[in-house]
Amino acid sequence: MKKSRLAKVLTLGLAAVMMFSLASCGGGGDEEAGGEDITVVSREEGSGTRDAFTELTGVLADDVDNTVDTAEISNSTSVVIQSVAGNSAAIGYISLGSLDDSVKALKVDGVDATVENVKSGDYKLQRPFNIVTNGEVGELPQDFIDFIMSADGQAIIEEEGYIMMDDAAPAYEASGLEGTITLAGSTSVSPVMEVLADEYKALNSGVTIEIQQTGSGAGIQSTIEGVCDIGMASRELEEEEAAEGLTSQAIALDGIAVIVNSENSVEDLTTEQIRQIFTGEITNWADVAAAE
Amino acid sequence: MRNYSENIMKVVFLVAACVSIIAVILICVFLFASGVPAIKEIGVSDFLLGDSWKPGQELYGIFPMIIGSIYVTAGAIIVGVPIGLLCAVFMARYCPKGLYRIMKPAVDLLAGIPSIVYGFFGLMVIVPLVQNSLGGSGKCLLTASVLLGIMILPTIISVAESNIRAVPEQYYEGALALGATKERSVFRVILPAAKMGILAGIILGIGRAIGETMAVVMVCGNQAIMPESVISGVRTLTANIVLEMGYASGLHREALIATAVVLFVFILIINISFMALKRRAD
Repeated sequence: MKKSRLAKVLTLGLAAVMMFSLASCGGGGDEEAGGEDITVVSREEGSGTRDAFTELTGVLADDVDNTVDTAEISNSTSVVIQSVAGNSAAIGYISLGSLDDSVKALKVDGVDATVENVKSGDYKLQRPFNIVTNGEVGELPQDFIDFIMSADGQAIIEEEGYIMMDDAAPAYEASGLEGTITLAGSTSVSPVMEVLADEYKALNSGVTIEIQQTGSGAGIQSTIEGVCDIGMASRELEEEEAAEGLTSQAIALDGIAVIVNSENSVEDLTTEQIRQIFTGEITNWADVAAAE
Repeated sequence: MRNYSENIMKVVFLVAACVSIIAVILICVFLFASGVPAIKEIGVSDFLLGDSWKPGQELYGIFPMIIGSIYVTAGAIIVGVPIGLLCAVFMARYCPKGLYRIMKPAVDLLAGIPSIVYGFFGLMVIVPLVQNSLGGSGKCLLTASVLLGIMILPTIISVAESNIRAVPEQYYEGALALGATKERSVFRVILPAAKMGILAGIILGIGRAIGETMAVVMVCGNQAIMPESVISGVRTLTANIVLEMGYASGLHREALIATAVVLFVFILIINISFMALKRRAD
């Protein structure tokens, strides 16, 4: 109880400091989430989204992940959204395709987080979605991969809010094959894979497709063990995994959206500010406002 | 002919009995076979006492998680035991028959709610409550303790209640006859007589609290750091495993299995003390 009173006094103190800094700014008209301490929401160590985010923003420097120790850790995209939607001082990051209206996506270096900007390369926070196969691929899984990489498959990827790899892919012709395909892996890749699978099954009625959402690492592991035909990963293969004879292929590009609570008036952060927030160099929204 | 079928059924029963034992043995063997080499590779003291968990940098110290598990469980006991115990006393000794017919199924229902639902309840109700009243993000030691305190209630209530009921009625009547009030008889005579059984119930509750995963992951913040106050985030041993297992590979994966070994040893200690207490109670 004593500690919580301490926290209250601290918050009051910080609020006072913030008022000072705002006053000295000449009151830039900023009605920020008023000097609240930033709640950093991150993903768990080993998540494909976290790997890509830390690498792109420079939070990962010299192979050391400097994400601040006090960052809240969530193990799924939906919990990140829920945490940010319920906390006016929170900041997090999610796959662009999973973005919804309950939170606000920030501009990064002045560029909106949109599919067009990811495709043109203007939006810097982006990563590939990979599918992973082990050695010789069977006829049926290969046909499914051909479908994903065809003009039809790539169009579905674009519709779902991700970015296609190949603008000039050939059209797909139903093969009429029968059997079962098992996929396992990344929770970020799964939603779009399910839509692809439905479409493929509509074209080839004799095919059953099972998709297991287990996470990138587990999906790759299953592919090595031969438990699944195709693994899904939202990151590149690690050396020890590639050494097992796996090959990976990018099927789509995904942006990573930096999200804050809808009440937060911050619209735009630089990559450097994002790095400072996630490494704990900036801990208060007032400091973000002061820098603007 | 009858003898023949009787013998067949005997074998069937034996197999059924063996399945559960074999399952336990297999889990033990698997855990220790894949966890112990990782502990050796990391180093026993670095693993158990290291205060930094950064798999990216090959730092596998689970001390913050051990402390986290202990704190959260202790918090759950502080919240759950007084409420559970008093509730059990009420149900066994004070509750009118009509109310009991509602209360008993309600408590049983509490036990049957899936933990993910508790987690969602915590995330939507307790987290904002703590956030608004104490500041911070609301995902903290306190929230996890309160939620777990609620979750262990049914365990404590049902074990404590049956043990209170098992105390011979003569104890109660004797106390009354000596001039004690009803309250004094219940709290000074019946409760002490049921002490061992109640303790066993609490230990069972501890076992549930320390092993709980899904609900805790959603409300404790999951920071792998030493908690500094009740409103700072914690990560428990179970949360550590479930958070990272999906993505882990190599030594990281083995370190998570080793975390499960530590958890298993915790549960083993708890179960052994439960059995020891139960034997003394009987």
